Amino acid sequence: MKKYLIRRFLQIIPVLFIITFVVFVLVYLAGDPVSLMLPEDASEADREALREALGLNEPFVYQYFHFIGDLITGNFGTSFRYNQEALPLVLERLPATFELAAASMLVAIIIAIPLGIYSAKKRNSFIDLFITGGSVLGKAMPNFWLGIMLILLLAVNYQLFPVSGRGSVMHMVLPAITLGTGIAAEMTRLIRSSMLEILNQDYIRTAKSKGASEMSVVFKHAFRNSLIPVVTIMGLQVSHLVSGALITETVFSWPGLGLLLVQAVNGRDMAVVQAAVFVIAILVIVVNLLTDIVYRVLDPRINYS
Amino acid sequence: MKKTLNYLIVLLLISAIVVSGCSSNTESTGGNTNGKEGSEKTSLVIAQSADITTLDPQNSLSTNGDRVFRNMFSRLFNRDSKMEIQPELVEKYENIDDVTWQFNLKEGVTFHNGDPLTAEDVKFSLERVMNDESLKEYPYFTQIKEVNSIDELTVEIVTDGPMPTLLRLLAKSGADVIPKKYFEEVGIEEFQKNPIGSGPYKYVDWKRDDRVVLEAFDDYFGDKPKWKEVVVRAIPESSTRVGELLTGGVDIATDIPPNEWDRVNGESGISLINGDTTRVMLLMLRHTEGTVTADPKVREAIDLAINEQAIVDSVLKGTAVPVQSRVPEGVLGSNPDLYDSYVYDLEKAKSLLAEAGYKDGLELTFTAPKGRYPLDGEVAQLIASMLGEAGIKVNLQLLESSAFLDVYNSKSNKELIMIGLADGLLDASYSLVHYTKERAAGQTDYYNEEVEKLFHDAGRNLNEDERVKQYQKIQEIVAEERPHIFLFQQGANYGVSDNVQFEPRLDEVINFSDITLK
Repeated sequence: MKKYLIRRFLQIIPVLFIITFVVFVLVYLAGDPVSLMLPEDASEADREALREALGLNEPFVYQYFHFIGDLITGNFGTSFRYNQEALPLVLERLPATFELAAASMLVAIIIAIPLGIYSAKKRNSFIDLFITGGSVLGKAMPNFWLGIMLILLLAVNYQLFPVSGRGSVMHMVLPAITLGTGIAAEMTRLIRSSMLEILNQDYIRTAKSKGASEMSVVFKHAFRNSLIPVVTIMGLQVSHLVSGALITETVFSWPGLGLLLVQAVNGRDMAVVQAAVFVIAILVIVVNLLTDIVYRVLDPRINYS
Repeated sequence: MKKTLNYLIVLLLISAIVVSGCSSNTESTGGNTNGKEGSEKTSLVIAQSADITTLDPQNSLSTNGDRVFRNMFSRLFNRDSKMEIQPELVEKYENIDDVTWQFNLKEGVTFHNGDPLTAEDVKFSLERVMNDESLKEYPYFTQIKEVNSIDELTVEIVTDGPMPTLLRLLAKSGADVIPKKYFEEVGIEEFQKNPIGSGPYKYVDWKRDDRVVLEAFDDYFGDKPKWKEVVVRAIPESSTRVGELLTGGVDIATDIPPNEWDRVNGESGISLINGDTTRVMLLMLRHTEGTVTADPKVREAIDLAINEQAIVDSVLKGTAVPVQSRVPEGVLGSNPDLYDSYVYDLEKAKSLLAEAGYKDGLELTFTAPKGRYPLDGEVAQLIASMLGEAGIKVNLQLLESSAFLDVYNSKSNKELIMIGLADGLLDASYSLVHYTKERAAGQTDYYNEEVEKLFHDAGRNLNEDERVKQYQKIQEIVAEERPHIFLFQQGANYGVSDNVQFEPRLDEVINFSDITLK
């Protein structure tokens, strides 16, 4: 296990390097940030002066190595959009995004566990078909559409929730539903299929024949074991949460990491894009590692050595 | 196993508690509050399509930023609602000679931290913006040569050659006066965390990409601020902005895009209010030797083939004004004959093309942005089909914003390129510089000796009436020779709650105290 962990940690370094290089190239190719910062009719001399002041005149290779050098010392450079250090800008957005992600996960679990179990229990019934169809729909609905529809229906027409922004728990409900629905759909289908697989196992039949109650069979014997793939899928959903947050946060003006990244990409703010992608990459890697560890705790048959 | 399950349940519960705990209640600042005291609404909420990016008023250069700074900081001069220049911090001033100006400041002006505003602060602020090349406002302030504080309330400004636009510049964003003592004590980093100005509203809080909160500054030297609290929210998604407007979460929403116009107009309690902007959509035509548009007949034919009024009526639903100049009404030096006017004569366009030797039609490339300005792609397609009717085969190159800017800035466009240009100074000198040889090089390659001379003379002419005439003459020549073919003056569209009275301004700035309860 120890060896395994060390190997996993060492793998992080090249992964992060590759990610930073790809992001650097993409942002570099996306165009000149100075053109976006000055009005259309700024003269070439004005643009040149600003480029010079921001160090954007250096050749690509020099800029990249300069960036990597800074990175090693933990410095992501200065955002030229905000004229502040990039990393604190990114870190101050994490609480808002964590809040939204946790709430979305909660929404997903509240929806998926009962539906998944029920669907498996009533296999091939009308209700099962309905739930399975619903989860396909939930997966297929784009976040921006769902978000806008929820705003129209529940915030504008019925005025049950605030339209946008962050503040009270009420502000969180609609974005969490928007972001949680897709994950809930995925989880429902997974819980259903793993429950089905387990309900047909010999030990379940044994439990039933010993006269265990229906509830005890489903929850004590079957559901616990069906959790193993669910934990995995929850870990893998982190990247979905991040990509979903980009859109959901924009629709709801939720001031998190997603919205910051969208704005930074729009403004070609290299330092902020890099810092945000870096932080997201580390989050995803750490969560995946934790998932693997939890997986092993849940299922002693798995051996990583 | 059972333990693990218990752990999971505990984890879930903890996350639920964390989630609700994280949510500090910031309802007191805007959101859905209408700041009611008794029954009188005292809080104003404005929603913009993008957040401000900095609290440094000299490094913002954006309308969104200026709407906040205009109310937080004071300048020596300001523009009234008719865009006339009025003194703000200045009691009286005189133009001592061609290059020297003297300004006497008002007495008793204080910053939000109680420090008095003196000539030293004015000197410090202007010197900062004219010397620091990394500031976005820097390029505008290069003609100021030196700023001297004569005594506590007297400032002298020396310009590099006669500068007729000085007062306009001192009313522009970037000319905001910042407190020297405080700024030097804390530095730019700290200043941005707690900016101090001397405007009618003082800083309370800025949550990035969420809201800026300001409150009335009771010791403001001018008229008492009308609102107790003003919240400027950033809501990038337009349908969400309109949603907030409908539920009373915001009083004014800027940048309502065309697909939301009917919705805003159709709902009770809110209205769509159209204002003007200084932005003029235009086509740039190459006069470069060897291009088909180097022929004046071809350029005239293109102009005559485009029906600007039809574009404004059909695509823009009447929210823009057809123009024949880049200097719209309200900007100093505009030419009334070229405002709200256009030329259209399809038959004449065809015969001009035939005269120019293109009886069987001609082909050209037309580059236009898509998604940079409201309905720009639709406008470009309509223009392409109008030119097609005249027998001009157009290769339309529609590009997303940054690809478009790359073509524009690298001057690699072919015969035609469409762009919208605004005027940050509200002075014709800002727009007409495009027709000088130096600025046109590589872009339109336009050159006219008379224009060159007029522009040069006007730039040094301290007699405003004469200067206006010089600029009007340039516009007449340009309308004739067509380095640019002007389409329309773009409108600004605001969604406004029926509870408040709001008049849009040409410079798109919002003075909070100009907004009143109905």
